[in-house]
Amino acid sequence: MDRRSFIKLTAITGTSATLASCGNPENQFIRFLPDEDIVPGVAVWKPGVCPLCAAGCGLTVRVMDADADVMRDGQWGIVRIAAAKKLEGAAGHPISQGGLCARGQAAIQVTYHPDRITQPLKRSGDRGSGQYEAISWDAAIAEIVQRLNALETAGTQRALALLSRGRTGHRAVLTDQFLSRFGARGAVTYQLFGDDVLRRANGLSFGREQLPTPDLANTRYLLSFGADFLGTWNSPVAQAGSFGHMRQGRPGIRGAFTQVESRMSQTGANADTWVPVNPGTEGVLALGLAHVIMAASLHPASAAGRAGAALDGWAGGLANSAPAEVERITGVAAARVERLAREFAETRPAVAVVAGPPLAHSNGLFTALAVNALNALVGSVEQPGGLFFTPQVNVAASSKAGGTAAASGASIEELAKGALGGDVPQVLLVDGANPVFTTPKAWRVRAALGKIPYIVSFSSFLDETSILSDLILPDHSFLEGWSEGAPESGSLSAVLSVAPAAMRPLYQTRATGDVLLEIGRQLQRPLNLPWQTFDEMLGATFAALPSATADVDAWTDAQAKGVWTGTVPGALVTGAAAAAPAAAVAYAEPVFDGDAGQFPLHFLPYPSSAFLDGSLAHLPWLQEMPDPLTSAMWSSWVEINPVTAEKLGVADGDVVEVASGQGALRSAAVLSPGIAPNVVAMPVGQGHQSFTRYASGRGENPVELIAPVTDSATGALAWAATRVKLSRVGPPDGRLILFAGGTREHLEEHR
Amino acid sequence: MTQPSGSKINDDLLRPLFHTSWRFFLLVAVFGGIVALGLSTWMWQARNGYGITGIKWPVYWGFYITSFVFWIGISHAGTLISAILRLVNAGWRRPVTRCAEAITGFALMIGATFPIIHLGRPWLAFWLAPYPSDRLIWPNFRSPLVWDFFAINTYLTGSLLFLFLPIIPDFAVVRDKSTGLRRKIYGALAMGWRGTPKQWHRLETAMQIMAVAIIPVAVSVHTIVSFDFSMAPVPTWNTTIFGPYFVAGAIFSGIAGLLIAMALLRKFLRLEEYLLPLHFDNLGKLLLVMALLWGYFVFNERLVTYYGNEPAHMAVFWRTQSGTFAPLYWTMVTCNFVLPLILLGIRRFRTITGCVIASIGIVIGMWLERFLIIVPALGHKYLPYSFGIYRPTPPEIIIASATFGAMCLLYVLFAKTVPIISMWELKAADHLPAKHPHSTAKEQRLGDSHA
Amino acid sequence: MARWGMAADLDRCNGCGACVVACHSENNISTVGDEQASRGRAKHWIRVERYWEGDFPDVRLKFRPVMCQQCDNAPCEPVCPTYASHHTEDGLNAQVYNRCIGTRYCANACPYNARFFDFFNPSWDKPLQLQLNPDVSLREVGVMEKCTFCVQRIRGAQLQARTEDRALRDGEIQPACVQGCAAKALVFGDLEDPESHVSRLARSPRGSKLLEDVGTQPAVTYLARATQV
Repeated sequence: MDRRSFIKLTAITGTSATLASCGNPENQFIRFLPDEDIVPGVAVWKPGVCPLCAAGCGLTVRVMDADADVMRDGQWGIVRIAAAKKLEGAAGHPISQGGLCARGQAAIQVTYHPDRITQPLKRSGDRGSGQYEAISWDAAIAEIVQRLNALETAGTQRALALLSRGRTGHRAVLTDQFLSRFGARGAVTYQLFGDDVLRRANGLSFGREQLPTPDLANTRYLLSFGADFLGTWNSPVAQAGSFGHMRQGRPGIRGAFTQVESRMSQTGANADTWVPVNPGTEGVLALGLAHVIMAASLHPASAAGRAGAALDGWAGGLANSAPAEVERITGVAAARVERLAREFAETRPAVAVVAGPPLAHSNGLFTALAVNALNALVGSVEQPGGLFFTPQVNVAASSKAGGTAAASGASIEELAKGALGGDVPQVLLVDGANPVFTTPKAWRVRAALGKIPYIVSFSSFLDETSILSDLILPDHSFLEGWSEGAPESGSLSAVLSVAPAAMRPLYQTRATGDVLLEIGRQLQRPLNLPWQTFDEMLGATFAALPSATADVDAWTDAQAKGVWTGTVPGALVTGAAAAAPAAAVAYAEPVFDGDAGQFPLHFLPYPSSAFLDGSLAHLPWLQEMPDPLTSAMWSSWVEINPVTAEKLGVADGDVVEVASGQGALRSAAVLSPGIAPNVVAMPVGQGHQSFTRYASGRGENPVELIAPVTDSATGALAWAATRVKLSRVGPPDGRLILFAGGTREHLEEHR
Repeated sequence: MTQPSGSKINDDLLRPLFHTSWRFFLLVAVFGGIVALGLSTWMWQARNGYGITGIKWPVYWGFYITSFVFWIGISHAGTLISAILRLVNAGWRRPVTRCAEAITGFALMIGATFPIIHLGRPWLAFWLAPYPSDRLIWPNFRSPLVWDFFAINTYLTGSLLFLFLPIIPDFAVVRDKSTGLRRKIYGALAMGWRGTPKQWHRLETAMQIMAVAIIPVAVSVHTIVSFDFSMAPVPTWNTTIFGPYFVAGAIFSGIAGLLIAMALLRKFLRLEEYLLPLHFDNLGKLLLVMALLWGYFVFNERLVTYYGNEPAHMAVFWRTQSGTFAPLYWTMVTCNFVLPLILLGIRRFRTITGCVIASIGIVIGMWLERFLIIVPALGHKYLPYSFGIYRPTPPEIIIASATFGAMCLLYVLFAKTVPIISMWELKAADHLPAKHPHSTAKEQRLGDSHA
Repeated sequence: MARWGMAADLDRCNGCGACVVACHSENNISTVGDEQASRGRAKHWIRVERYWEGDFPDVRLKFRPVMCQQCDNAPCEPVCPTYASHHTEDGLNAQVYNRCIGTRYCANACPYNARFFDFFNPSWDKPLQLQLNPDVSLREVGVMEKCTFCVQRIRGAQLQARTEDRALRDGEIQPACVQGCAAKALVFGDLEDPESHVSRLARSPRGSKLLEDVGTQPAVTYLARATQV
């Protein structure tokens, strides 16, 4: 008997007589007992995994005692709990290496958010009204089971659909298993700033359909095409760490960095050379560099191998990509093309990365392939200082999922089209995605969801999508249950992050993994998933992996450290995939929505440093964090080149209207010298209609202007392919909140 | 132009004390209402938090400190001028000194409340005072704010004494003319004055000592107020000229305040026979000299900054000269320099009306001067990222405005309870060999001259 | 006696803002909300300043994290009438919240504008108060607050070292901003120890102090961003 149960027992036996008439005396007392052995004022550090993006950074969670209003055994009371206090980057973690980004620092506010959903909810008002009533877990699960049994009985199992953000790791395998064993269609995944184009290109060029890991720490020349690798793309913490090392970590060696983009990103601000380029022509510039390299015989065309063969005209030395032609298309001077090519080819090692806006055009795949070929040409693939691919554990295999692998699902666009056209899913499970906020209006996702008779959400917050659901089964926060991550990149060796709960749940929430397993058991035809609980599934994976520490098994070791890293046993490696394309890809002019005469400006929505695609707009620390470039807090804005602004009669802070063929919005203008005169940019993240008290009704959502242009090869949304016009509406009206006063350090000689 | 006789003096000057008209109550109600509004706004501020003001990062001083310096400046009207005029024995000063000294006392009281109003935690203001505390913590004597605390308290004590001493004989007159409770109160205030030669002698000596002592105190007070700014490494603050610049500005605004008060008293208390155009003319000339002096200081301060050409200083310089604050800056120059030069420099315009218009302009201009010293510099301090612009909010404007109401209220009450012109000094002038107000002849030893 | 100092390598700093949020999290800095933020009341003990240079297309952007520089010759200290702002033996500019009466003179005197005023009593929407760090006192309305170099961590590490009867190790103390910085742009340590990492960086030829000519003798060294030739 441990100390805790002893105290409980003494307390109960001592007073049970007096409390005998008050119902269940045990509950009365238990709720006043501390959760566990906590020494007041003494901090305990526990591992964690950051849930906010797919990078999978390891956390160290500082846990201390705190008095909280919590519900225990059905009653509210103030209980001394062990509460997470601060998140820090885990020092020994191969991805985060002690660091953590601003968003990760703020992740703790997910757990303590005042508008978290605290228990299962059942819709009681109209859809979208946000009116819900409490429901017990048992009743909620019974309701879903009944719905799914009905599908089973009718033989329409395919009418079950699941929508997620495309998580990797165990959660994805579990949902896939659930769907395939039930007989449902494959999971629909959607992310506004997803990297599907790049994954596809990497598959075609290198046989690895995954995000790359540039070895910045060892490179001497970094050429980035639009990749915001220090801010929002891929694994920013790992990349910021290795970028710091590239700059100042090697005595006497400082890696050079050139950024190609049409709007200076936070990453581009750190470049030695910043090269503005016409939107959608980045691939042409990459081929121009390749042309110069080949023409000067710095490297032969054959050096690029498979990656080069994927491009039209490569073997012939890219005759169409002479510097003069490149200058005509991209706007980058021919002499500069030559110089960049020589720098890139002659500085060893050098690496090129591409991501973000360059791939968000109708010719995105071409651009990605062109940059891949450039890397291959100079021998920068799987070489120190070049591009690597983090070995991946095949989680389905390691966790012994068995069964058949789920078919890949439809796109959200197809799902919506289907639902509106009569192929209506009868039950939709939504796990983490918020497509109502992040899809172009033309896809009519909201209307499509309206057709679906039964929507279940696992969300912790009422956002634009979960507010349409009929049943909400709130997940634990990442600190209250098992958290895991299977980083796709950020390390040269394989990594799996995992951590047990750092604290007990504050509310009546349940881990979604466990809920799915429970539903699977209760169905009239049980799904026979091979695990009883989610942690059992995690345990199965780690049992199959070699331990990093002698005398301790991998599962225990990983739980203590919060991470497993090492060599993946051969049977568990995710294999190379994707054959080379049948036909080589050639440059096609990017397609833009909107007539250039009527809509003279390119519209560039970009992931905001604070909120990514808007999924973090509910965290007050991030709302109040000044934007790195504009210092804006709590607001939306439109970035305009001062020359363009002057032509349009727009002054700094003025309210302007931005209109595309899809719609119009009004926001405040920020005059920025770091944007091309023919481009206007807007951060995505604000403009939520419903997303907690901190984000609702704040700012504008630029996604509403995005036209449904897609990359011709992959079908991914080309979110940078919309044209807009801009006009002044009125003077500043206070909607733009800036932290900073001045924008230039050296005040020019006065007029 | 003849001076009124002794009994007429008594009748005219004691009339407000013994006859209360509805106008008095109206004035008290109006000004009292304004003060009550200001006080309740301040209570609201103390209760809700300082955030209801327009103060912000990085402009942490605004309307309140501006008003503080302004009122301390106004306080230099009285005591300093009256002391100097007493020492040089300018006979025309006689009807002017008391209302000038009263301005000093009240302006100081009002000015001294601003450092408390502006505190983030005003309930702890007593920590500025060195009091025996079991924690053995004293105020930080290196802080100019502590210097302020002592300087203002010294000046206030001295000024009130300086105001009170020459009222004693007049209190005795009121005592002798009244009955009942009033007699008791004025009797106490008269402190047993019987007008014996010995008492007159002591009064004269005390007045002489106070007049000599108060001048350095007055000069030091505004110098110390200027230290609040010049001791901090803020662009355009950290300059040696601030001491004399502030003192000159203080006397400048003080005389302007005095002129306005005199004109109002003359009108409302019907003192046309006592406060003569001559007084306005003389004070107007003094004001003209101060305007020139002020112009000289501003020119000095600006030119030195301009030639120094420090980037941080120049940022503030241009901000006032041609940037955001230019409208206020040029209004200030007009009010403080151009207008007085025209109205006071040309004899034809130096009438009572002319003097009052110029004075109102100067009071506005001097308030702006303090604002323009404080706010642009704080908002433009070295690192451009942290630049900011301050805009006052209604509570600040109400509180700052209410202090003008407080000044009027105190003045109305003072004029109701104390003869606003020193009766015995006026009468003493009758006994002088030369009746010319400009007489600088040594005053005869004063006998038992009051009726 | 130690002299705590920091070095900020501007060649590593990429302007991400992680230090800003880490500081909020560690030091119980309340968010003020949009309305107050628009009135200039946001409190960021550390801020990443950004400055544009040149015009499109030859445009550059510079980032510079600015926090209290913990000056040896601190202008904020002599002006405080109540000793709320004072110098500790190990060279920190301490701010004693309980002693502060809110004259805000220190903030005016600070050339770096590193001090922030509490315009209202801070509040946290329940249960956000659970994130509060019990090692850092909350500030009430009307007081000044600023970067402390995470003095609670310094004292904690000193106590720990004393109980273990050993000297402090270089790098053992990490203020929240230093700890969170993925790029390792910020380094904290003892400037009295010539071998400490921060001392070596402080001697770097790229090093300079912010507003050196104001004479504040700051404890933070900025290592200039190198320019590529």
